[in-house]
Amino acid sequence: MRIVVCVKEVLDPDAVNNYAVAGRLEIGADGKTLTQTAIPRLMNGYDEQAIEAALRLRDAGADFTLCVLSVGTDPDKLLKHAAALGAEELVSIQVDPSTLDPQATAKLLATQIEASGGAEVVFCGRQASDDDQGVVPVLIAEHLSMSVVTVAREIHIEDEALKITRATPEGDEVVRAACPAVVTITNELGEPRYPTASAKIKARRVKPTVVTPADLSLSADEIAPKVLLKQQFVPEVQGNCEFLEGDAAQVAGQLLEKLRAEGTLQ
Amino acid sequence: MSEQPIVVCSFGETRDGLPAGAEEVLHIGRGLAQTSGAPLLWVVLGPLPERAAETAGLFGVQSLHQIDDEKLKMNSSDAQVAALVAYGKAQVPKALLVHQTLEARSVAPRVAAQLGGAVVMNGISVSPIGENFEITASAYGGDTRAVYEVGPGPVLAFIPNAAIPEPTSADPVAAEPFTVDLSAVQERIEVIEPACFDGPRLDDAEIIVSGGRGLGSQDNYSLIEQLAEALGGIAGASRPLVDDGWVDSSHQVGLTGRITRPNLYVAIGISGASQHMAGCSAAKTIVAVNRDPEAAIFQHARFGIVGDALEIVPELIRAASAG
Ligand SMILES: Cc1cc2nc3c(=O)[nH]c(=O)nc-3n(C[C@H](O)[C@H](O)[C@H](O)COP(=O)(O)OP(=O)(O)OC[C@H]3O[C@@H](n4cnc5c(N)ncnc54)[C@H](O)[C@@H]3O)c2cc1C
Ligand SMILES: Nc1ncnc2c1ncn2[C@@H]1O[C@H](COP(=O)(O)O)[C@@H](O)[C@H]1O
Repeated sequence: MRIVVCVKEVLDPDAVNNYAVAGRLEIGADGKTLTQTAIPRLMNGYDEQAIEAALRLRDAGADFTLCVLSVGTDPDKLLKHAAALGAEELVSIQVDPSTLDPQATAKLLATQIEASGGAEVVFCGRQASDDDQGVVPVLIAEHLSMSVVTVAREIHIEDEALKITRATPEGDEVVRAACPAVVTITNELGEPRYPTASAKIKARRVKPTVVTPADLSLSADEIAPKVLLKQQFVPEVQGNCEFLEGDAAQVAGQLLEKLRAEGTLQ
Repeated sequence: MSEQPIVVCSFGETRDGLPAGAEEVLHIGRGLAQTSGAPLLWVVLGPLPERAAETAGLFGVQSLHQIDDEKLKMNSSDAQVAALVAYGKAQVPKALLVHQTLEARSVAPRVAAQLGGAVVMNGISVSPIGENFEITASAYGGDTRAVYEVGPGPVLAFIPNAAIPEPTSADPVAAEPFTVDLSAVQERIEVIEPACFDGPRLDDAEIIVSGGRGLGSQDNYSLIEQLAEALGGIAGASRPLVDDGWVDSSHQVGLTGRITRPNLYVAIGISGASQHMAGCSAAKTIVAVNRDPEAAIFQHARFGIVGDALEIVPELIRAASAG
């Protein structure tokens, strides 16, 4: 069996948020990209959990080759982390991400998966914390004619099929999907593990296989973006907070009074 | 090519006689149809919602189509994709607009792929530019807005959170059946245990009291429940509380939880990260209780109380119960 996990490099969303909250998030001269020098780049959080999902299947006794793929220009850090956690195959698809859209990214990933012998399961994050689109996994499934199960928090292999608990807004739902399938992972899966120090040292020597669109026989047309980022901006928040003063009982009383006076509360 | 319609598509969860988010997306669809001089169609999958005909009239829908089939029950994404692709091929829409539910998140990209169009999620507003469209979408959990240009025939999913102006009255539009042969569709995903949430839903709540990590411990979450009850609202939470298992995921407010729009949102011990605000910034009035006067939540709040939640909340419960 072969399990593929797709991982994306993103700007640390907490750092982005801290800049935003401090009113210091800035867009560069191109009007599109965050001026990002101080913001660390790391693996999308849900993708770390997607690797964790595969490792838990391994803990439970499943026998498979774990292959981790990333489309980007500098995925070494991500892929070495994956290697230290136990990934046997590492593939870096080298394309400048700013020239891609989710549809093109999915095309690259699906083509690579197919060209390298397919997969019984493809794990992805539920969405990337930069574009928040959550479109790439669904399109990978569509290209490979696989079914797609989103927001998985628990996965078991039973009779060669997947039994998946989905964390939906309506509560947990349990589904059964035949392999092959694409499964997206949500934060409810829980904390991803860290590699041991010795595994990290060993992983330093690992060299990811580098693949270009030409290696995949994909023409520029086939990976031309359909969704073009024209502009990015930071929305304004109005900020007219009225702070209530006094001891706990006083502020509580004032608040209820004001909300009733405004008609917010009866 | 001005005959090509703008199509609004609704499916899934029905409440108050309408599919979730239908009015919001119809409002966006009507605007887009007007600016691009195109007719507005509304296609509904599954049983006809009670208020569909009336609502279609109010939003200037030219034709209301219903695709009904045994196979279009909930959790029928393969059938939904097949139905929408067939509909799309027949109507050749300029753009297809949907409300972004979890269900729509896996249906919309597949429809786009099969119809050869682009797909964009998290849309907030859209306008035509020539034969193309410019869509403004939320990114970085709400920290930024991305403006994308997409070609004709895209599938666009919206998380609308602006108030809709009261539509003027109009005659209802009778639904016409649109038949699609779904007999060949075999759902590939089988639901073994359905989600069975039957409490009041955060999305519908007029008053929400949410707790965050500032509560310190799971036990203190009961204060949030008590305050919610005293105010006649329901209790929500930020993501860390869900991650740590204090509450289940149906309580999560935010980008990857519930998108709410209550009259009153009370945030207790919540820092106000963009991903949380994505689920509550449409509230009419936000009240924040936080120990840190610099917390981001105060940038969004109408009223702020700086202090320890464990001291303030019991007093709020007392004051609310006295009212
Ligand atoms: C892709 C992505 C999606 C996400 N989706 C969501 C989502 O849907 N919903 C969501 O909520 N988050 C989401 N998050 C997480 C989000 O970024 C924040 O980490 C999270 O909202 C923080 O929760 P919090 O405010 O409870 O905790 P913290 O950020 O830890 O804030 C705790 C607050 O409590 C205050 N406090 C501490 N002690 C007290 C006290 N005794 N009394 C009063 N105040 C006190 C502190 O000053 C602080 O402001 C997402 C993140 C990512 C990257
Ligand atoms: N450049 C990429 N390389 C590898 N995987 C990706 C890439 N972009 C997206 N993915 C996968 O698709 C998921 C959703 O991404 P998105 O559709 O961009 O929100 C991510 O969590 C990854 O698992």
